[in-house]
Amino acid sequence: MTMIREFSGTTMDITERVSNREDVDVSNKVAPTGDKRSRRPVIQARNVDKVYGNGTTALKDATIDIKQGEFVSLLGPSGCGKSTLLRIMAGLGEASRGTIKWWEQDYDVVGEKGRKLAFVFQNATLMPWAKVRGNVRLPLDLEKYVAGDVDKRVEQALDMVGLSRFADAYPRELSGGMQMRASIARALVTQPNLLLMDEPFGALDEMTRNKLNDDVLRLWQENGWTIVFVTHSVYEAVYLSSRVVVMAARPGRIVEDIIIDEPFPRHSDFRVSQSFAQYCKQVSFALEKASAMGQEGKV
Amino acid sequence: MKTPLIKNQGFVQIAAPIAVGVIFLLLWELIVRALGIAPYILPDPVAIFEALVDNWGVLFHALWVTLTVTFFAFAISVVLGVACSLLFIQSKWIEVSFFPYAILMQVTPIVAIAPLIIIWINDTTWALVVCAVIMAIFPVISNTTLGLRSVDPNLLNMFRMYRASRWQELVRLRIPGALPYFFGGLRISSGLALIGAVVAEFVAGTGGAKAGLAYMILQSSYNLQIPKMFAALFLITATGILLFALMVWLSNLALRNWHDSAVKTEN
Repeated sequence: MTMIREFSGTTMDITERVSNREDVDVSNKVAPTGDKRSRRPVIQARNVDKVYGNGTTALKDATIDIKQGEFVSLLGPSGCGKSTLLRIMAGLGEASRGTIKWWEQDYDVVGEKGRKLAFVFQNATLMPWAKVRGNVRLPLDLEKYVAGDVDKRVEQALDMVGLSRFADAYPRELSGGMQMRASIARALVTQPNLLLMDEPFGALDEMTRNKLNDDVLRLWQENGWTIVFVTHSVYEAVYLSSRVVVMAARPGRIVEDIIIDEPFPRHSDFRVSQSFAQYCKQVSFALEKASAMGQEGKV
Repeated sequence: MKTPLIKNQGFVQIAAPIAVGVIFLLLWELIVRALGIAPYILPDPVAIFEALVDNWGVLFHALWVTLTVTFFAFAISVVLGVACSLLFIQSKWIEVSFFPYAILMQVTPIVAIAPLIIIWINDTTWALVVCAVIMAIFPVISNTTLGLRSVDPNLLNMFRMYRASRWQELVRLRIPGALPYFFGGLRISSGLALIGAVVAEFVAGTGGAKAGLAYMILQSSYNLQIPKMFAALFLITATGILLFALMVWLSNLALRNWHDSAVKTEN
């Protein structure tokens, strides 16, 4: 609680931000996935800076709350620190300044509950020498998970992403989309509460990407996870998210936080709706502004 | 539809070098005969083959001696080389401190230190083995260390995120990932072990029951038995090629399911 009081206030007040929008009246709407105020924060980042050894400031004063059940997209131009922020959230990198809490606890405490968190990388990052089944069960093996349901959990994870028939294939025998599904299954096998995804579909073709977007949305709804999703695509961010956080570069920082106040489940008809177009316009405008700020180096 | 033999990749891989070899031997035979070159200057392939058949007993024994030294040297190089690599990746400090000495072994001419080693080690066979190890160990150390370090950083991050132990990281990530590099090292090292054994034999000049192929070459040259000398040389070359082929086969066997170097692809 002390930490919350110390919060400098650089985070966008979401209600205020949303009310500022000209094209969508959301002044009295609640968040799509329930009342945020009653939900427990999964991640609380406060004034986080990341300065690399060569002096480059990748992230400056980033403050953000991610609450239980949210689907938050981090969107911004290259070099704006989206991936850096995500990696700090995953505990894969340390902040140079500021604090970050997971389920209102420090990393040392949450480390013991590490299974609550899973990370999907930009590339599938599968072990080429292991079959799909071996790749998916890897997190359980590493955590020395001893309960007798390992095989069942692996089968469930493969089933969720539609890869049951390919359990005994090697990664090189799969298409790019299927490899990414295997990577997602590996993240799901630990039954995480928080899923961090770093541009997972960036290298895929449009059709595969749309299909995987639908799969992720379905799994998110079915399992009640919290997802933080890094992407370059405005359309992907709007389609998937309950919130889009726009970031600017040089230095990387959060400049806008936009609620996508549309009901779930979302399907392909949402992609051609008026409100989708309006949200895309709004997010694009915010992104353009962020890019301009990055070029000018304004903080 | 049946694939024509000429389009069969496996057939071409074997047939093409054999065809080149046969053409080369035919040209050699023709040139030697046409120019009337004396056998003590350059024997023709038929004379070399006859010398091989006539001296098979002696040459085979020599081959066995050289092969024994090569085998022990290669085995020791692999075990020691891998052990050194595993040690090097434990800490950058260890690698930085010791790697220059591994390079030292690679750049020191074996003919320059073989006499010393033969003086220090009473048993000639083991002296030869040590010389051959000095020749053969560096590619194993160098390639395996590179392989153990060349881990996909994202995979490494994932292992660390799930709090993998160092042992898990080594056995489940670093070692499998290093296999292509390791087998690349073996291909070079196997040939160097043979070269090391032969060079050390030249320096040691061991005769009698411990005479290897190098001694056969020396002895034949002194006696102007040039066809026999070529026959011994042929055995060394053939052994080198067989060792290389064996390493390729082992590599393909280990990597055939997943690594681009070994997986058969269809276009």
